[in-house]
Amino acid sequence: MRRLALPIAVAALLALGGLVVVELLRPSVAPTQADQARQVAAELRCPDCQALSVAESQTASAAAIRRQIAEQLAAGQTPGQIRAYFVARYGEWILLAPPSPFAWWIPPLALVVGIGLFAWWLGRGHVAPAPAPAPPAGGVRQQIRDEVERLDA
Amino acid sequence: MAGPFARGSVLRWLLVPVVLVPLGWLLFTGLGSDPRNLPSPLVGKPIPVFAGTTLEGDRFSSADLAGKPAVINFWASYCIPSCVDEHPVLLDLVARHGDEVQLVGVLVNDTPDGARGFLDRYGQVSWPTMLNPDGGISIDYGVTGPPETFFVDADGVVVSRHIGPLTRALVDEGLASLGIAP
Repeated sequence: MRRLALPIAVAALLALGGLVVVELLRPSVAPTQADQARQVAAELRCPDCQALSVAESQTASAAAIRRQIAEQLAAGQTPGQIRAYFVARYGEWILLAPPSPFAWWIPPLALVVGIGLFAWWLGRGHVAPAPAPAPPAGGVRQQIRDEVERLDA
Repeated sequence: MAGPFARGSVLRWLLVPVVLVPLGWLLFTGLGSDPRNLPSPLVGKPIPVFAGTTLEGDRFSSADLAGKPAVINFWASYCIPSCVDEHPVLLDLVARHGDEVQLVGVLVNDTPDGARGFLDRYGQVSWPTMLNPDGGISIDYGVTGPPETFFVDADGVVVSRHIGPLTRALVDEGLASLGIAP
């Protein structure tokens, strides 16, 4: 098992890299205004419900926000400008996803570090085994034999 | 050379603070924070302007608040018991400080009939209540749900925001931040 540690770690890293490359190379289709509205609504937190996006929620507040998103897109605002509009009113709390791109790298980074630590843990048994203790000297053997005989007597 | 300070042992001991310190910090800051004290990006900024019709059918706008400290209270008739509990506090606020501060109510996702029924039951008010039919004022103020209250100074700048029902102590605290002695 420990001999396989390095190949397993390398295979896992290659698989992860492959997924990233496939995602980056996937052809993109220009989104319609309705797609953009759905996308922005899916990224905003419903202000008066628990753990739902504006796109998912059926509350009146979510409906009002969806209406404003559609109006602003029709007026020529970009999705980024619309997100900024809501952040200026609600704070970054309104965003379901973290605003910093750095935050997206934390999970894959943690995965790579975890695989590395696991490989290190598996591989650390490859150090040379400690030498076997020397057999007891002749005098000690005789002493043990005498002790055993005395106990048996 | 093996021993208490062998490389593997030191690394293992280093992992403990590396994992526990950030985890402890997250728990301390996350669990210790009051969910009613969400920071509002509007604090320190001029109030978003609004204009519309009141429950009585009059025109009212944010320009009517100019030159006097104001309390903008978002509420709804379905907001029970919070808005019911808060209602006498608002009546008391106006009875004590009506000359020094302008109170204005704003409905949140509510109908005029619903609001009138609430006031018939819990007490009529002397201050204007904005209808806010499309929810635009709630969005402009980043309201997460009724009741929610903004304390605004005489220059029209938001001084503080409170989420949840007001109590007399909270009103006095808010008024003090506007320079009005309780």
